[in-house]
Amino acid sequence: MKSRRRDRTPYILACVAFGLATLAWRRGGPSLAGEGLRLGFETLLQVTPLLLAAFLIAGLIQTLVTREFVDRWIGSGAGWRGILLACLAGGLIPGGPYVYYPIAGGLLQAGASLGVLVAFVTAKNLWSVSRLPMEFALLGPQLTIMRFLLTLPLPPLLGFLAEVLAGKFIDRIREAAG
Amino acid sequence: MREATWVLGVLALALAGYAGRRQDGSLLRGVEAGWRTLRRTLPLLIVAFIITGYVRALNPQDLVRAWIGPESGTRGLWIGTAAGMLLPGGPYVVFPLIAALYQSGAGIGPTIAMITSWASLALLSVSFELPFLGWRFSLIRLALGLGAPLLVGLAASLLFLA
Repeated sequence: MKSRRRDRTPYILACVAFGLATLAWRRGGPSLAGEGLRLGFETLLQVTPLLLAAFLIAGLIQTLVTREFVDRWIGSGAGWRGILLACLAGGLIPGGPYVYYPIAGGLLQAGASLGVLVAFVTAKNLWSVSRLPMEFALLGPQLTIMRFLLTLPLPPLLGFLAEVLAGKFIDRIREAAG
Repeated sequence: MREATWVLGVLALALAGYAGRRQDGSLLRGVEAGWRTLRRTLPLLIVAFIITGYVRALNPQDLVRAWIGPESGTRGLWIGTAAGMLLPGGPYVVFPLIAALYQSGAGIGPTIAMITSWASLALLSVSFELPFLGWRFSLIRLALGLGAPLLVGLAASLLFLA
């Protein structure tokens, strides 16, 4: 099920690209259709050094931050300390949803609280250190820094709110998922 | 763009230096991991950049500005948030697209709302969340997080104006 979902993105994107190419052709003939391709490859070439650096950074983080490291960090700790550690772990752990949701599921079964889990997932989503180079490279320093600073308080805050408002549901969540 | 190249280059060198000094093969494994990710995502990247090229060639500035431009107000923030939830794929696909919209005249508030919404509320990732954490968890997390892109986008618009 997982791999099927992952594989669908290229088709969706290819359809979008084809749709846009058709639109360009109808609006400006072959020259506009070619122009889109040219601009696309030109941009890709321009950002290639940045992309290479970003992929190198992502790869290095992936090997320097191991799964055991993260497990050990969140395994202990409850309350504020647990929530903050979960935020750090979520921010540092590399990989897509098919990596961090299985880990979050493991933490749930290992007895993590709702606040810890919400903090972990939200920090992965908003702090994700391994994704920052890509954002920086393509959207520029100003926008990336502003976005990062504005979303910085959210993971601990949402983790805390989840714990206070809905923490009592954690047993039912654990049973249903287990 | 030039500062970005410098910062990323220095960061990559620093990490590579640290990994190399550990002398446990983590440098080589890191480079391999990066290379594998690059090879796997390259087809997606190429398609994403072709889309980016067409967005630029079709020059939808009037459309982008009207929907999510700097003066689109609260409606722009809502549209940015909704668009973010629907964007498919990972950062290698989504950031080039958002960058193209930003260059076509999207406001900083709607752009940041879109990034935040894609990062935290993307429906495709929720479909990974359900099997591992269950619908109750998703519901709680989404209910708490739904306002975030709007607030963050609003704050960004206000900061940018100031």
